[in-house]
Order: sequence, then structure tokens, then C-alpha cells
Amino acid sequence: MSGFVKAGLAVLVLAGVPFFLGDYHNDVYRKLLLWVTLALGYNFLFGVCGQVAFSHFAFYGIGAYSIVILLFQLHLPLPLAALCGVGLCVLFALAVAIPSTRLEGFYLALATLALGQLFVVVLNEGGEVTGGTSGLANYRLPEVLGLSLRGPAYTGVIVLLLVFTFVVLARLDRSWFGRACRAVRDNPEAAAAMGIDVARTRVTAFTLTSALAGVAGMVYAFVDNTVNPPIFGIENAFLLLFMVIVGGAGRHAGAVIGAALLFLLPFWLAPLVGQHHVLVFGLLVVAAILFKPSGLVGIYDSVRARS
Amino acid sequence: MQDFLELAVSAAASGCVYGLVALAYLLVLRPTGIINFAVGEWAMIGAFAGYVLLTRFEWPYPLGMALAAALLALVGWLTERLTVRPLVERGAPVIAPILALLGMLVVFRETISLVFPPDPLPVPYPFGLGRLELGPLAGSYQSFFILAVTLAVFAAAWLFFERTVAGRAFEAVSLNRRAAALMGINLSRVTALSFAGGGAVASIAGLLVAPNVSAHYLMGVPLAIQGFTALVIGGVGRVEGALLGGVVLALAEQLTVRYAPIPSGYAQGVPLVLLMLFLMVRPGGLLKARA
Repeated sequence: MSGFVKAGLAVLVLAGVPFFLGDYHNDVYRKLLLWVTLALGYNFLFGVCGQVAFSHFAFYGIGAYSIVILLFQLHLPLPLAALCGVGLCVLFALAVAIPSTRLEGFYLALATLALGQLFVVVLNEGGEVTGGTSGLANYRLPEVLGLSLRGPAYTGVIVLLLVFTFVVLARLDRSWFGRACRAVRDNPEAAAAMGIDVARTRVTAFTLTSALAGVAGMVYAFVDNTVNPPIFGIENAFLLLFMVIVGGAGRHAGAVIGAALLFLLPFWLAPLVGQHHVLVFGLLVVAAILFKPSGLVGIYDSVRARS
Repeated sequence: MQDFLELAVSAAASGCVYGLVALAYLLVLRPTGIINFAVGEWAMIGAFAGYVLLTRFEWPYPLGMALAAALLALVGWLTERLTVRPLVERGAPVIAPILALLGMLVVFRETISLVFPPDPLPVPYPFGLGRLELGPLAGSYQSFFILAVTLAVFAAAWLFFERTVAGRAFEAVSLNRRAAALMGINLSRVTALSFAGGGAVASIAGLLVAPNVSAHYLMGVPLAIQGFTALVIGGVGRVEGALLGGVVLALAEQLTVRYAPIPSGYAQGVPLVLLMLFLMVRPGGLLKARA
């Protein structure tokens, strides 16, 4: 029960923040919450299950585009559109993961890299359906149960998404499945010997986190009330991987810290390095892998252990 | 038929470039088990080296090419020394160097975009623009030049692996690291050499493709995807597989662009589709490794 109380408190606090922020900071806050949500999901795939994939933003985009297209071009009702969007993400995830996880090695990374590249091409070439390079705009979230969710209220929806994602992943992490994932990451042969179906565990983890990314994408679609291709490219997929590594792979706290740091860093770095903050990210990641594989969370742990 | 032969020559030329990138992967992958995603960025740096040496300084082509290859061999060697060696010595899991190289991918690309202007930069053709007809085969000078250079590189790689002691040492390491080390093979030297060789081969690939597409800091990732797809198609077991896979991929791409009624941008989907197809139907690639 106390878990529910904690989750409820977290929702209240996080959803209360935007009422004290101006328009600009509210926008930054929403994007931050979305990045943290994505990083939590990616952390489960990469940090807990040990798989490198670059398709997280493609699935985020599939979610975002599919809900807009289903709602405003095919005129489906919202719940049905959301379900279809999740179904699409699951379908694509299975199509990529089943062949790629048949072999040992990093085929999933390559296949998802190709998928990420292709997705942006499809968006750009999609004509009327995807709106080409300028994307889709001029739509509004339909009323949900007679409520129109705007401004700080919609930030509440994002907070709910974040807490929902966190609760799902935290529970999974402590379940049989989470331990199976860690076993597959650390030693696939030993995991197989313990009776874990390695390929199925990998495919399930990939599909599940991809579907979560798709749900986050659906929420994102109504943040700016516009979706366009550049956001969903592999640049951001790289950034997500870097966030998890710098924060500390395999730990929820690591994903949160890494996402917050790398999301906010460009704001502080801009006067110093202009547009080249990605170079700083690259150096940070290499340094993290070489000197502190457990990431910022690891540094925090060792400081606390010493005092 | 004429149309198809013309297409075949140009497909063979781009297939050779993919094959070279695949070879650059293979040189690192076989002795170390590391997939080096930064290989596309090495090709990109090779193209920029071509721009600086051949366009800016107007060096003679063979000299510029040799220096570009040497430069990238140095970059490859340094990358191994600074980011891979410490991890291997610490006994980090094999994913750690792969992730470190991913980080380096971004470092390489952003460094180039910091130093050079963002517009595509011209790299000259070694023999200018012109058409060569050899019996029924016809294509640009550049296509034939790419074919010739690639065949030379693959012949050299084949000779190295099959006929030299150092090459046999590579093979031994790729078969069994520990046994090779016990036989007195210096593992760290083989690893360093494999990265240097990968850098040199990647830079040649970049230099060959650069005149057609111009040097641009975003050209690396597509090359990395195409090269790896070529590797999966051909099979990682044998050197010739890289070349065969590259040509198959390029042919599939060009046939799609030429004959399929879809926007040409979708040709970027061909590697993904082929990758999935081969992983499902023939995961070992076209050429089986020799026993």
C-alpha cells in the first residue's frame, strides 16, 4: 500500500510544480519529464537487459504520428486510436527484434540503427499522410471525459505518464522477469542453463520498452501540438543512450540523473560552446565508460560509502 | 540490356565502397570480437582528409591517398590505445569497448563539424569526369577506379591473411584468443594493428565515395549501416564475403531505385530489409566460414 501512497505523493508534487512556472519554464519542464520517461524505459532495455538499440525515438515517433493520424485523418475515437498506436509499436518491435535476437552479437543495435534512419526517411517522404518535412500541426487534443486538458493540467498528464512508467518498470525489475533480464545481460549461457529462454526474454524486453516509448510519444504529440521529423531521428536515440550511461546504467536513479543532466547541460553550455554541446556529451560518455562505468550514481554511492 | 549493364557497373562501384567498409569492420571484429560503429566516421574523416590534401593543397592523388590512409591508420591506432586497451586490460565486459567506440563516433563527427564548415566540401576525381567503355561494360572513370582500388585492397588483405605470418597470427587470434596468446602471439599488437588496418581501409572507402557525394560530416552513419549489412550478407567468416555482400547490397539498392515505383529516399530501407531477411533465412551469410 505504501507504494501507492508514494506514487500518489510523487504525482502531486511533480504536477504541482508547473503552477509556479512561467510558460517558457513550463515547456522546458514538460520536455524534461518526457526525457526522463524515455530514459527510464531505455534504461530497462539497455541497463537491465543489456541490449543496445537505437530505435527508441523511432517508436516514440510511431506513437506520436500514429495517434495524430488515427485521430485526425481516420477520425477514430481517442481510446481506440491509442490502442492501435500501441499495437503498431508492438508489431514493428516484434518484426525487428525476432530476427535480430536470433544470433549472439549486436545485430539488434545495427537493425535498430537502420530502422531509425529509415523512419525519418518515411516521415519526410510520406506526403499528405505524414506532412513531409514540415510534419503535422494544427490539431488539438479532444476533450477527455468532458475535460479539456490544457496548460498545467496537461503537464499533469505527463507526470502521470512518468509515474506510470516508473511504477511499471520498478515492479518488473523486482519481478521474475527483471531478474531474468539481468541474468541474460550478465551471462546468457548461464541464464539459458537456469531455464531462461534468452531470445524470448530479449524480444519481450525490447517490445515492452518500445511500446512504452510509443505511449510517451502519444503524450508528446499534444505537448507542442505539432509533430515533425527531426525530433525522432537517431541523434536523439544516441543522446538517450548517453544519458543512461552517464547517469549509471541499470539503475532507475541513474536514468533520472543522466536524463536531467544531459537535458539541462546544453542550456548552461550554450554560452561556452554554442551548438557543439554534443561533442561534450561524447567526451563525457567515453570518460564515464573508461573511468566510472557505474556512472554518476556510482560516484554518489562511493561518496556516501566513504562518509 | 545496355541500361542494365550501365547500372551493374555503377552498382558494382558502390558495392565496392560498402565492401571496403565491411572489410574495415571485419579487420577489427575478427581478432577482437568488437563491432566498431565508428568505422563510418573513419571513412568520413578519410573524405575530409581528401578534401584538405587534394582540394586545398592540390597534392598529387596517389600521395594524398597514401597520406589519408596513413593518417586514419594513426587515428585507428590511437583510438585503440586510448579507449579500447584500458577497458580490455581492466577485463571490462565486451560491450564496454563497443560503447566507448560509439562515444568516439560522436566525438569524431562533432570534431569534424567544429573544424570544417557545415556545407558539403568537394573532393576531386582522380581522372576527372569521363566515360570509359570496355566492350559491353560502360561507366564513369570513377566507377572503374573504385573497382580497381577495391580489388587491389582485397587482394592485399587476402595475401596478408593467407600468406604472411602476421596474417596467420590474426587468424589464430580470431579462432581462439587464449590459445593464440599461449603460442606466443602478442595479442595487444594484433589488436592495435587490426584497428590501424581498419582505419586505413575505411579512409580509402571514404576517399573513393567522396567525389560523388562530397565530404560531409553526416556521411558516416549511412556508410556504417551499409557496410555492416554487407558484412551480414556476405558472412563474417571470410574476407571475400565482405566484397560479395557489398555488391549484392548495392545491386539491390540500385535496382530498387531504378525499377521500383517508390520515392528514391526509400532506397535507404533496402539495407534494413536485407538485414532482416538474411538474419531470418541465412544468418551465416552467403559464404560459410572455412572449417
